[in-house]
Amino acid sequence: MLRHLNALVEPSVKYFQANNQWVSVLFTARVEAKTFSTSPQKPEPQLKKNVSKAMKAYLERAKEHDEFMKQQNVEFQIGKRHLANMMGENPDTFSQEDIDNAIQYLFPSGLFEKKARPFMRPPEEVFPQRKAAEFDETGRPYHFLFYTGKPNYYKLMHDIVDHINEAYKFEDTMIRKGIKPDPNLALDMSGFQWIDKESLEAELVETIGDKDYETFSTTMDRLYKLPYSYRSKDFLFKYRKPLMSHEKTYQAPKPQYDADGRAFITTYECLRKRARGHVTIRSPGTGKVTVNNQDLTYFAEVQSREQVSETVLIINNRDVYPFMEELIARPFSKKYDILKKYNMC
Amino acid sequence: MAAIRTFVKNCQIINRNCAVLSPHVQKHGMSQYPSYYIEPVHKKEIQEDLIKSGEIQKLAHLPTKAARNDQSSSFRQDDLVNLFINYVMRNGEKVLARGLVEKAFENIKRIQLEKYHKCDDVEKKAKIELAPRVIFHQAVENCKPILALTPIKRGGVRYQVPVPITPKRSQFLSMKWLIEAAKEKDATMRFHYQLALELIDAANNKGRVVKRKQDLHKQCEANRAYAHYRWS
Repeated sequence: MLRHLNALVEPSVKYFQANNQWVSVLFTARVEAKTFSTSPQKPEPQLKKNVSKAMKAYLERAKEHDEFMKQQNVEFQIGKRHLANMMGENPDTFSQEDIDNAIQYLFPSGLFEKKARPFMRPPEEVFPQRKAAEFDETGRPYHFLFYTGKPNYYKLMHDIVDHINEAYKFEDTMIRKGIKPDPNLALDMSGFQWIDKESLEAELVETIGDKDYETFSTTMDRLYKLPYSYRSKDFLFKYRKPLMSHEKTYQAPKPQYDADGRAFITTYECLRKRARGHVTIRSPGTGKVTVNNQDLTYFAEVQSREQVSETVLIINNRDVYPFMEELIARPFSKKYDILKKYNMC
Repeated sequence: MAAIRTFVKNCQIINRNCAVLSPHVQKHGMSQYPSYYIEPVHKKEIQEDLIKSGEIQKLAHLPTKAARNDQSSSFRQDDLVNLFINYVMRNGEKVLARGLVEKAFENIKRIQLEKYHKCDDVEKKAKIELAPRVIFHQAVENCKPILALTPIKRGGVRYQVPVPITPKRSQFLSMKWLIEAAKEKDATMRFHYQLALELIDAANNKGRVVKRKQDLHKQCEANRAYAHYRWS
């Protein structure tokens, strides 16, 4: 077989010899003919990777943190089940609220600082989150924006702009069809604001500056104000926080029932300046007001009388049943201070 | 040494935040409340207006300041009258101040009623205003100055320069002058009666307070030449 090869090769060898090129190469090719076989190739010997100590340490740290979090999670789950057992509840349906109540019951604490009181929470909330390994052993980063220094933040900004562009494109198609945006579908953010800087930092696991946060805020506003922003509803809702609502923050007391079956609420120790008193409101009532077993004329000053009858007015203005109010008040000081009552059902 | 360093650092922090702090402080002066707290709305009609216009959505999520003792949702509630009572009040004697103003209103009613019953002409009768609150509002309105004189020093000389004043200041001056005029009385006369007389006069565009306002306006007109001293 080699004779045939040589026969093929010889004319070109002669040509190259004449031109003084490729001679040595061909000679070696002639001498070292490769053997072709059907059996699997032997694996090539592994090249020794020279990973620097710093890189090694970094990767180890990242791995350690991951394992630590996993371990903590396992402990938390087991601990939760133990706690549920202790409290006599079903461990499968034991929610975070139940955990909080159980801990409060088992470890009653009168410490003033609520953050210093004992608590049991999932490890993600307790331990500060760290990013997983951001690049592999060769040093190549996983995130395409790694070299910005704040890859998660800039990715988020890119995402917002993507949503904005999508909304523009959709608007264009709608305009071409001649369809106007539906005002009912438009998002209402009157009771919400964007998540604050700390929460955003916690979510991105990155520290961002004030200017960056402002940019984030304004860009989100820009997206939300577009007519077709409702299509990016899920994305927007992830980054918004509800503002306080009076109804949610105020907890109305539950009414009790007296012998006649009438509902009443008594608030004890109402105070303002040096005045102290208890107030009872009954429903359904007559609109009569009794103060210390006397009429409203207990108050000599018109202003005090006005303030007390204000409660009647407020309730009447809300079209609720008229009520009878009893004010068991103790004598006031010379300043004629009156009680302010906001405990109406 | 470390103490000096921390001090310098704190100064830097203060300087950095000063620009942020000063408008913050100016916005709500000596108020105990942060600037985003809203005033409570007592009157049902105003609440209904807010609900109709949709403004209520923005306000529903903001914390409100506590209601004051002199505010109520009754129909007799009047913010201007409350302000006037506060201006009359001395040494925190709200009861006395309120009593005086209420008596003044009562006096206004009596005087006007007397005029009304004594009047024979039907046309004139119709023109007589009997409601003290209306007279009070009219009086305050008629006594409001538009310009005021401020001393400005130029070249060692203090000139009285006419300058425009804000509506709030104008209203304040009007009410202050009415009270001052009511105090300038005989020893035997009662303050609330004198106040009633002043209010009625002012509502009819005559009397001491309106004259004071007109004198001030004349002075401003006379000192027109110095107006440019405002900008030197």
